[in-house]
Parts: sequence; structure tokens; C-alpha cells
Amino acid sequence: MILASPLTPLENVLRSILEWMGPHGTLGLPWAWSIVALTVLVRMLLVPLTVKQIHSMQAMQAHMPEMKAIQQRYKQDKQKRNEELMKFYRDNNVNPAAPCLPLLFQFPVFIALYLVLRHSSELIHGGDKVSWLGLVPDITAHANAHWTGYLLLTIYVASQLASTYFMSATMDKTQRTLMMILPVAFVPVLVNFPVGLVLYWVTTNLWTVGQGIVTRSLVPKKPPAPPKRSSRTPARAPDPGDGAKEEPVSVEPAPAEAATPRRVKRKKKKKARR
Amino acid sequence: MTVILRVPAFLGVGLVYLYRYTLGVLFPGGCKYHPSCSQYAIDALRRYGLVRGIFLAGWRLLRCNPWSRGGVDYVEQQRLFR
Repeated sequence: MILASPLTPLENVLRSILEWMGPHGTLGLPWAWSIVALTVLVRMLLVPLTVKQIHSMQAMQAHMPEMKAIQQRYKQDKQKRNEELMKFYRDNNVNPAAPCLPLLFQFPVFIALYLVLRHSSELIHGGDKVSWLGLVPDITAHANAHWTGYLLLTIYVASQLASTYFMSATMDKTQRTLMMILPVAFVPVLVNFPVGLVLYWVTTNLWTVGQGIVTRSLVPKKPPAPPKRSSRTPARAPDPGDGAKEEPVSVEPAPAEAATPRRVKRKKKKKARR
Repeated sequence: MTVILRVPAFLGVGLVYLYRYTLGVLFPGGCKYHPSCSQYAIDALRRYGLVRGIFLAGWRLLRCNPWSRGGVDYVEQQRLFR
């Protein structure tokens, strides 16, 4: 109830959109498809927020060698590695990680949809078609009521794993593994959720996966040539224009980049000195 | 006495952990800051108590938007409460 009261307006909005899309509304879609359409609508509204991130990922390709050097340097120390990477992102004004705030918009929509579907009797009338694709008999029933519910849950787990794979690219390994295992542990709980909600989840996850694939295809695979050239010909570095501009921006990574081909030699020198 | 005063903040930390292993899993995402927003919230609650901790965590979440630069941002660096 504490959660329900501030969400009531949103609940009403979602309900009226569903009604507008639903069998008695303008679009006249079956209930199951109106849930899918509503989910797609919500995700489409969030797309403008990810545009900046896609640009950032594209810009990041140019900085790949430096980032790899940082990851290599702090291989053992997870904390320090994250810190240095974040510092590097900030200094170069690129950040491939997704921000938290847009994620927050999805929670109230999800909870409100849950409430709408739980009180589905207000929305869905007796004679309405509540089946989906001729397979799922009733989208307001619990997922464990019919075998198709289990099928949808299986698709959910698969889509969840795939979307986690795309969203957690910036996470460290242990955290990522945990995030991949936990959705499976949730299945016993989700079994008691209405099928319509599982449908929402599957749709939103598939959207995330699709967005991830599109994002990746937009990002060029090979980094552009300039950084390579600079590392091969350090002697030519005193180019007054480029060298002076770039070096003060990234104080640490610049020497690392120049050093990458000779790392082995330098290490040996250091050892010899000690 | 001090232990009792810290109970609300502990409950807040518990809620953040609850979020992490429920909604956080169902809606996977990253964070453009280090430490992440949820870790920042935990640190803020532990250090500054429930009320100021909530303000700091909320401010951090607002900053974690598509138009900010992200980066390293520890609770100790905050300037809202001195």
C-alpha cells in the first residue's frame, strides 16, 4: 500500500494507455499485444537517453589502447583499476557505462504495470480474449498455471542473461557472474506472477538485447589510425600542434601508450637497476 | 545510545542491499561513476546517517544522468554537508 499510493497516477496513465490500445479502445489490439506495445512505447521514450552513450562508445574506440594499458597495469587491484578507468573516462570525456537515472524510470512503470495486471478485473472484462498467439490461454493467470507459462519463463531467463550480457559490459567479472546467476534463482518467485508481467519482461529484455546489438554494430570495430602512428614514431612527437594539445589532457595514459611496444624492455631495465 | 541512533541508517543500508539483489538484478545496468550509485548510497548512509545519506545518494543519482561526465566520486568528496 505504501508503494501503491504514489504510483496511483502512473497506474491510471498506464491503464488508460492499455485501454486505448486494448480490444475496446482505438487500436483494438488483444490484451497481450497491448502489453507488448506499451512496453515498446516505454522503451522508445527512453531511447533518446541512450544516444549520448552510443556516441560515447564510438568515441571510446579511439582510446582503446590506453584503456587496455590501464586494465593491464591494475590487473590485480580491482578497486584501483575501476578508479583509474573512471578517471580516464572523465579526462577524455568518454564514458561507455550506462547511467543509473534512466534505469529508475523503469521501476515505477514496472511496479504500476504489476498493480494494473493484479487488479486486471477492472480492465479486462469477462468476454475479452486474454489468450496470446493461440498458445497462452490466459495472460492474467499465474505463470505456473499452464506449460506455456514455463516456456515464457525460460525465454525470460534467456533474454535476461542476454540483456545482462549487454548491460554489464563495464562490470567486473565476479559481479557479472552473480548478475547472470540471480535471474535463475528468481524463477520460483516469478512463477507466481501473472503471465502478462512475464510478457512485459521478455519484451523489455529483448528490446535491451536489440539495442545492444544495434549499438555494437554502430561502433566501428577497428580503432582509427592516429594513435597507432604516434606510438610507432615517438621521435616525431614534437609536432607542435598535436603533441602539445593532447598530452596535458591525459597525463598518465600518454606515456603508457608510447611505452606499450617496449614494455618488456623497460621492465627488464627496472629489474636490473634494482 | 549511539548504537540506537545508527539503527535507521542501518535499515537504509539494508534497503540498498535489498534493491541490489532484487530490482538491481531484474533491471541490469551499470553506473558511470566509481564507486557505483548503490555503493555510494551505502557509504553515505554509513557515514552521514539516514537523512543526510538519503540526500547525498539522491543527489548522486540525479548526477548519474546521460549528460554528466561520470568519473571517480567518493562520499568523502561531497560538499553538501560539512
